[in-house]
Amino acid sequence: MIRTIDVIHYAYKQAPWRIQRQWISAFLLIVLGVAMVAAFYLDVTARAALKGREIQSLSSDIIAIQQSDADLETRIATLTSNSAMETRANALNYQPVQSNQMQFIIVPGYVTPELPSFISAPPLQPSSPTIQPEYTQSLLDWIDQSLRTPLSVSAMGASQ
Amino acid sequence: MREQYAWRSWTLAAALALVGFSIILQIIRIQISPEAATFREQSEQFAQTVQTFYPQRGEIYDRNGHLLAGNKTVYEIGADLRNVKDKHAIALAVGVELGLNPDNLYALMANPNSKLTYLILANYIDEDKALALKQIKLKADQQTSAGGQNSLSGLEFTAHPQRTYPEGSLASNVIGFVSREGRGYFGVEEKYNDLLAGAPIQVRVPVDPNQAVNIPQVPNGTTLILTLNRDLQAAIEQTLDDALTKYGAQGGTIAIMDPRNGEILAMASTPRMDLNQFWNYSTIYQNASEYDLAVSTPYEPGSVMKILTMAAALDDNTVTPATTFLDTGSFLIGGVTIKNWNDQAWGLQDMLGCIQNSLNVCMSWIASQMGSQNFYGYMNRFGLGHLTGIDLADEAAGRLKVPGDTDWSPSDLGTNSFGQGVAATPIQVMMAASAIANHGRMVTPHVLYAMVRDGRQFNVPAQYAGSPISTSTSQTLNQMLATSIDNEASLASVPGYRIAGKTGTAQIPTQFGYDPTLTNASFIGWGPVDDPQFMIYVWLEKPSASIWGSETAAPVFAQVAQKVVLMLNIPPDKIRQQITQH
Repeated sequence: MIRTIDVIHYAYKQAPWRIQRQWISAFLLIVLGVAMVAAFYLDVTARAALKGREIQSLSSDIIAIQQSDADLETRIATLTSNSAMETRANALNYQPVQSNQMQFIIVPGYVTPELPSFISAPPLQPSSPTIQPEYTQSLLDWIDQSLRTPLSVSAMGASQ
Repeated sequence: MREQYAWRSWTLAAALALVGFSIILQIIRIQISPEAATFREQSEQFAQTVQTFYPQRGEIYDRNGHLLAGNKTVYEIGADLRNVKDKHAIALAVGVELGLNPDNLYALMANPNSKLTYLILANYIDEDKALALKQIKLKADQQTSAGGQNSLSGLEFTAHPQRTYPEGSLASNVIGFVSREGRGYFGVEEKYNDLLAGAPIQVRVPVDPNQAVNIPQVPNGTTLILTLNRDLQAAIEQTLDDALTKYGAQGGTIAIMDPRNGEILAMASTPRMDLNQFWNYSTIYQNASEYDLAVSTPYEPGSVMKILTMAAALDDNTVTPATTFLDTGSFLIGGVTIKNWNDQAWGLQDMLGCIQNSLNVCMSWIASQMGSQNFYGYMNRFGLGHLTGIDLADEAAGRLKVPGDTDWSPSDLGTNSFGQGVAATPIQVMMAASAIANHGRMVTPHVLYAMVRDGRQFNVPAQYAGSPISTSTSQTLNQMLATSIDNEASLASVPGYRIAGKTGTAQIPTQFGYDPTLTNASFIGWGPVDDPQFMIYVWLEKPSASIWGSETAAPVFAQVAQKVVLMLNIPPDKIRQQITQH
């Protein structure tokens, strides 16, 4: 009876090479999974790094453009300074008006112009936009955050 | 057969596992080794770089949007010693192009501090010169192989802003200037230095592009808009300069304020300096109080103070315009005999006569009638002896001796009533007189019209400094002062406009007493009387053409007033009244 059972057991036992292949397949599957995640991570990191470089470059551009703006504004101010304008007016034979040369005319409905507004652009948004952590944290950061986040918070988040 | 060679696979696997395990072991060992802290420090050093940011200092405009103080790009030229290949070539190129000594530059690079990797060779270099040097570097790089002889590799250019003043010396007494270290001196630049900011700061910037979001945002300074009117400022500076020449005065100041809200429309003093060459400061000025006479230099203003004495007496009901006084030519107070400006007796006078003829004797009598406590109470409420709070640096408080002070004597009550023995700045007298011009309400003088930050404009509201006198007193005194100008056909008269005002001629105190030959000539006036829109103060220091304020400061006031009404579009009284009727 026992011999019969041994024979049956032996008859249905998988061949050793099959077991070995299953192990190898499972191992390769894990390796493939890890490689895919690593490739994905590498891709995201590389793109984030490129964007980071762009941000760095744009920051430098902002400073350069601001300086250029200031230069141009100063140049315009120099060209239209009081002394420069007076020189140009004199060259064009203009003369300062005297009080006895002034004529005031009553214009019904005339409103004295108000002083100019110095706001050249709509109010700026806060300088550093809020970026979700999903776009900035690394894979390890994400795992670390997941491990540290209390379950109750996760549950609350899920229920919202 | 397969089992026979299986040991090879196992051996290879074990060897690889051993290598892997060794690597992991080594990583752990390094992490917990004593050198770990050093490694971490090194990695943090490489992860960040220290950069100098030059935020733009806030600009300064006049009330009509004309730029008074801005920024321009200049360059810092330095050598990155790690990349420098030919120190001789760099020293020669920089030296020749920028007019520096090449030997000194070479010595600087040849013997650097052991820890230095970057050396500043020159700074605040104008853009055109820096760009020319850049072109030379480009050509040198093209012509020489990298790292070869004559290479200018390692020569670095860093652009940064520098303060510049497009109007040169215009309003220099009000604006002040900024040193190369970014600190403001005098005037608005010093008073609002923290707001204007723009001082260079060193910040740690992450090199890791993934940390780009952490690049610090260094905010630029706040832009300021002043109450000054550039064209009016230029006009009164010209008038002041002409007046100094015409009347042989050693110095002077002219200030124009809107008495309704305290806005300073123009303020000129002598001497002035080109703010783009601020390093000449010490050769132009002997001390800081000379920078803006209107704010920083107290002096004995003389008879212009009589308007405050009369205002106090009218408000206190000590006198009315109809009160009479018999002027015998002298008045004894505190053991001191007060005399009139011409040593004459003027006979029976009403209060209009007292103010019109500028009688010291009458004023001393009025002050004595008020009593010292009452008189000094009013002077205190007029702000004498206190800072006005004007938003300019280095304001002086002047000096008003009061009973109880060790150096006060009863005779001071008499002399103070006509402006002797009391020191005040022109801006203090203007602030006090604003109560007379502005229905009894005294305004705080200010030069800041608005601030602009983050795209928002914040206007500065007018501030009032109390009401030392009533509205009816101010109206009465206004009429008295205007009538006195009309009656004496004063040189301060402005055709077509009714003006209220008062001259002042004050002898100058010295350590040997008052010098009879030297005076300070002053005039304060405002108009139009029924709706005052401007107040003008003129002070001429030691005029030689005439010692009298009525012959020097008064006509200067008239010239300035004529320019003011033109530039501020204030029609003559008749037309203005027609407009009001419409």
